[in-house]
Amino acid sequence: MIPFARYLKLGAVAVSGLTLCAHGAQAPQRIDVKQLSKKVEDVVVPLPNEVFGALNKLGSVNWKEYVRSDKGSNFTERPRIALLLGTVIADGFIAVQAEDAPAVKEIGQRVQTLARGIGVERSITQHAKAITEAADKRKWENVRQELDRTQNSVQQAMNEVHDEKLSQLVSLGGWLRGTEVLTAVVTKHFSAEGAELLHQPDLLVYFQTRLQAMPEFNLAIIREIQGALVEVKPLINVGSAHISPESVKKINEITTRLDYGIVTRE
Amino acid sequence: MRAFVKVLFRGSSSLAALLALRLTVFASVDDAQSFALQAAEPYIKEGFQVREDYWGGDLGSGEKKAVRQQLFKGNEYWFWMGTEIERARISVHIYDSEGKLAEEPDGWEKGHFAAVHIIPKSTGSYFIIVSIEESPEERTHWALVYGFR
Repeated sequence: MIPFARYLKLGAVAVSGLTLCAHGAQAPQRIDVKQLSKKVEDVVVPLPNEVFGALNKLGSVNWKEYVRSDKGSNFTERPRIALLLGTVIADGFIAVQAEDAPAVKEIGQRVQTLARGIGVERSITQHAKAITEAADKRKWENVRQELDRTQNSVQQAMNEVHDEKLSQLVSLGGWLRGTEVLTAVVTKHFSAEGAELLHQPDLLVYFQTRLQAMPEFNLAIIREIQGALVEVKPLINVGSAHISPESVKKINEITTRLDYGIVTRE
Repeated sequence: MRAFVKVLFRGSSSLAALLALRLTVFASVDDAQSFALQAAEPYIKEGFQVREDYWGGDLGSGEKKAVRQQLFKGNEYWFWMGTEIERARISVHIYDSEGKLAEEPDGWEKGHFAAVHIIPKSTGSYFIIVSIEESPEERTHWALVYGFR
């Protein structure tokens, strides 16, 4: 993928006038989703800060409570490193929410170490440097963008060597950590709007499908995640009904247990 | 020996041709992505974080493709589509999980750029429909990026 920053520098094509242009043909007011569902492309997994941003708008959150920057365990199994890498990048987004520059910098270093463990360190060296510089200057939007670039570059590097499954585990690790923190915040100050942010049934199915296609990763943590997703599914797949405080608490217990399994060597 | 050289030559020519084709295909999707990102550029100043990940592919004239995306109530999203074929006309629209048009009225289409804006009424999956309305090419590369705030 071409880095977005390159295009910011181009500036050759002025597109600002585009917003003044007229609409094209009228779009139909309704489409047949059932027919469409068979043809849709894969989802792009949302970044943890997409959820955190929406959560922030519901009321102030003390993000410092959720910051975690300890070095944690080291693993040699590549799937475990990939899951942990996703979790640590999510921790980076949490540290940015908390505007905790030292934690952001430590997490940047940790990401680099983990990337080295799966042979993709070169792809993120410049991003790790940019994260540190932006954190020093407290330019939080730049840190967020660099964290996204870091994750993307790691996944691109994995895809290039046909490690797509590891790339998917990075996304899964980030999603699980994001969900753990989301449910912790909502459990503490319950609101139906906060709980609604958990309504992500298609993402859950996406991860289930991907895990089913990884029989070669015969690890206890992978099996545990598979079992946990089965538990979580009925709690969030509630249609137009509200997700209850009990369900939020239950999902928090499940994701906390999984997170412990991801970050801890046992 | 001559036969071996001939086979080797044929093999390497085919390989080179395949490699060239592969590079052309990637370059074109990347070009399409660059136009989608150019369309997104003015929105950065308005506080939108543009994702690095994107969707892309190629479609024939008049063809549509659906992508599905998880959106969160409370956020605001723009999706920007682009193609490198300047004489193409493209469009992008968003529907909710029940198939109802869910976009804001300020979306726009301008030749090989198009964009759609959504402030989700609920958290869940949405369908983004990309379409090559017209194109002088048999297949037209497209890319779709999104940003949120």
